[in-house]
Amino acid sequence: MKKLALGLAAAATLAFAGAAQAQGYPTKPITMIVPFAAGGPTDIIARVVADHMSKTLGQQIVIENVAGAGGTTGITRAVTAAPDGYTIAMGHLGTFSAAPATYPGLKYDPINGMQTIGLAGGTPILIVARKNLEAPDLKAFVAAVKANPDKFNEAHAGLGSVSWTTCTLLKGILGTPKINAVAYRGTGPALNDLVSGQIDFMCDQIVSVSEQVKAGTIKAYAIASAQRSPALPDVPTTKEAGLPDYQIEAWNGIAGPKGMPKEAVDKLVDALDKALNDEGTKKRLLDLGAVLPTAEERTPAGFAALIKRDADKLTPALSAASKQ
Amino acid sequence: MSLNQIERAQGLRVRSTQDMWAGVFMIVFACVAVFMAWDLPMGSLRQIGAGMLPKSIATICGALGVILALSSLRYHGEALTPWSWRAVVHVLGGTVLFALAIRGFDLGPIHVPSLGLVIAGPLVVLFSGMAASDRSLKELVIFAAVMTFGCALLFKYGLGLPIPLAPWLLGI
Amino acid sequence: MAEMMSHLAVGFGVAFTFQNILLCFTGCLVGTLIGVLPGVGPTATIAMLLPITFGLDPTGALIMLAGIYYGAQYGGSTTAILVNIPGEATAVVTTLDGHQMAKQGRAGIALGTAALGSFFAGTVATMVIAALGAPLTRLALLFGPAEYFSLMVMGLCFAVVLARGSILKAFCMIALGLLLSTVGTDLETGQERLTFGIASLSDGIDVAVLGMGVFGFAEVLRNLETPEARDVVRAKIGRLLPNWSDIKQSINPVLRGTGIGAILGILPGNGAVLGPFASYTVEKKIADDPSRFGKGAIEGVAGPESANNAGAQTAFIPLLTLGIPPNAVMALMVGAMTIHGIIPGPQVMTKNPELFWGMIASMWIGNLMLLVINLPLVGLWVKLLQVPYRLMFPAILIFCCIGIYSVNNQPADVAFTALFGLFGYALIKLGFEPAPMLLGFVLGKLMEEKLRQALIISRGSFYTFIDYQNRPISLGLLIVAAIVLAIALLPAISKKRDEVFTE
Repeated sequence: MKKLALGLAAAATLAFAGAAQAQGYPTKPITMIVPFAAGGPTDIIARVVADHMSKTLGQQIVIENVAGAGGTTGITRAVTAAPDGYTIAMGHLGTFSAAPATYPGLKYDPINGMQTIGLAGGTPILIVARKNLEAPDLKAFVAAVKANPDKFNEAHAGLGSVSWTTCTLLKGILGTPKINAVAYRGTGPALNDLVSGQIDFMCDQIVSVSEQVKAGTIKAYAIASAQRSPALPDVPTTKEAGLPDYQIEAWNGIAGPKGMPKEAVDKLVDALDKALNDEGTKKRLLDLGAVLPTAEERTPAGFAALIKRDADKLTPALSAASKQ
Repeated sequence: MSLNQIERAQGLRVRSTQDMWAGVFMIVFACVAVFMAWDLPMGSLRQIGAGMLPKSIATICGALGVILALSSLRYHGEALTPWSWRAVVHVLGGTVLFALAIRGFDLGPIHVPSLGLVIAGPLVVLFSGMAASDRSLKELVIFAAVMTFGCALLFKYGLGLPIPLAPWLLGI
Repeated sequence: MAEMMSHLAVGFGVAFTFQNILLCFTGCLVGTLIGVLPGVGPTATIAMLLPITFGLDPTGALIMLAGIYYGAQYGGSTTAILVNIPGEATAVVTTLDGHQMAKQGRAGIALGTAALGSFFAGTVATMVIAALGAPLTRLALLFGPAEYFSLMVMGLCFAVVLARGSILKAFCMIALGLLLSTVGTDLETGQERLTFGIASLSDGIDVAVLGMGVFGFAEVLRNLETPEARDVVRAKIGRLLPNWSDIKQSINPVLRGTGIGAILGILPGNGAVLGPFASYTVEKKIADDPSRFGKGAIEGVAGPESANNAGAQTAFIPLLTLGIPPNAVMALMVGAMTIHGIIPGPQVMTKNPELFWGMIASMWIGNLMLLVINLPLVGLWVKLLQVPYRLMFPAILIFCCIGIYSVNNQPADVAFTALFGLFGYALIKLGFEPAPMLLGFVLGKLMEEKLRQALIISRGSFYTFIDYQNRPISLGLLIVAAIVLAIALLPAISKKRDEVFTE
């Protein structure tokens, strides 16, 4: 027993000495909180990016999944943690831009109450419909929906999800809150019912639906980005198809608590930039359907501006929807 | 006079304390649920509200509880057996101690930092292990150390789970 | 047929490379390990191992990840049999008779039967995927919200049959399970329901938390009550592997279980969960002596375990042929595929034949490996039962604590498991059985979701469930439900009438 105690004490001393000797940030593993269950789109992007960032930083970035309340539980934990640079989070459009309007009792302020690091990637949003819906293009679809909003069923993956957020924005722009919203647990089951024709349309990220569109089991009306996607070059943008107001992207980005040391922020920004320039990481993100962020969006200020811009865009539609 | 008639002549009395309390248990649960869900809207059939299912299922629970309690007055059944409070306190207490220690907690003025697996592991093994009637403290202490070490290796390094080991000592 | 053979030849060519066999073995080993450890599920493990697969080619990566998935299904039954802890909802049924067998000193036979049954089911399911994958896909598309709701109603009627004792108490438990399933944020309106304002309840009660509490913890509490009983269990070891008469007794249940599981596994929205329950119900209903069930009947292990494994495997069909993930693990496989540049969809089969058929072939190899890994381990597991209980239960508790914590990295979940342990202990004391409650809980969430979807789509008309022209499947399922319920209720009612006022 005595020997064991001595050994432990020696090990502890060594560990302390190690910590004291190391220079500058980071001296120990960094926790990146992913506010969703393991395996979701955000989780996968986080793991891809963190894998390369760990190499640059010389310390492991450990992914910790803290799911709950549309991702706000995990973000709350991250932005209220000690601002030492060892706790950061990967959030998305929902947790950073939409959450203040969706969750009235939100315990963090994405605009003023956290330190943004940078954008990791964006994903275009598509308006897709069951293959035998009459409307041949977006204009006809918009006209049909506006004429009889009550006759249409829209699918989404639950309150606060990307599909719900983007579709609520679409309904706000069209002025058709009366469309029947059918909630599913995840986009998989929702897509299944879209393919089998139980529901009429939904808005979702390109990566979930592109193969179905290519195979012709569902049809895509438009992509809500500025440019067409190389994955689906035949699908027009909302601007081309006659609904220029509907511009939205689902994105994922990194942030931490306010008051982090400048050294930590700089090193994280640099590591993220290096990860996004790495060929292997780039290819994996592109395969996941992501659009790589611009140089501006990779900076804390650029990312903060994006959060603010999308929050301004979403808040009116989301507030109206939750008042219903 | 058959046994049935003798029983009947004795009228209604609690013939199974287990079923009686089981019925009461269901009724209490139903009442709590109805009370909690009181403000939730029922909605309509076309657009079911958040409160419709909790309230209707709770009502069914309550009704089943009433039937169960009433049937205990007619049918014979088992009697309640005493609880083993010692086991409850140690096993569940040990688990709660683990929950409190692993990441630390704040309770009013009390602030406990994240103690990690190095503390939480032995806590749960030692505290719960005391529940066994044939316990031996020395054996338990060694076992707690071995288990904690083994679990740290297995979960933290083998499976790579982000579980804190001893943030106050090792920084991880 | 010839086409299928040539496809499988391609597949085995891919799967039988040294690297892929090694990856398959690694996956199966890791899967077995996490299956045995309570709490740590395949979803979290696959997600964590995802970056490790970056360096591999897509086929190898997917072979390893798939190995983890079905390895976990094997491992889960071990914990269910040995210590009465269902790692996942599908293992609940295995605890009923499997743990009873262990208590009678037949743990080895239960484990062996589970392994052999699973291997057989896995083999058949692999062939089903290879031969019928594409046509069976249509089945998934026939199931809309209304059909789903009727399927869940049928599942709940099965739960009544699961009960060992009083039918009335079984009804109570199902209703209680349904009630617990409504806890959490409402999917449609975002309102908090029955959460008592506690943040960690806002996403509902995790099935692992509830299952581990009412089964595992409550079992520990019950065992601590009677120190003598558990030592008797330890004394008996008995035969290690099933003998010929055990196998003969299990053949038919395995065949039926495989069929039931394979069909339910294809359905989207986690239809595979129903497989073991349905198989158990069938076995109990057609048995000569149903009263043996719940007391260590080998059919009650063989059937459900086969159904579980068959369903786990055929759940790949919607993913591989439609590109639609039917459950959380499959959703993760979509991520794993896309990360390697393959977007699952209707075209995977033609665009990446080596990957498609290689993966299918590796499933069979994986099942064989699991048998090779698991049968020798049976002796080890049974020896584990000889650890004195005074050390065994603290070990169970620390594994459960770490496992539960790692699901969401929330300490509150651990505390809630303790609370549900108390709840489960109260249920035991009151003569309630937790199995129907857990089924009610699992089905409750799906049922409410599907009911609301169906009624929104039908604009509030219940006729949609019995619309024989447009939805014959839904009507058929409801009729089966009614028949099952009648069969279960009638003898109970007449029996109760005889029992009035007699001791």
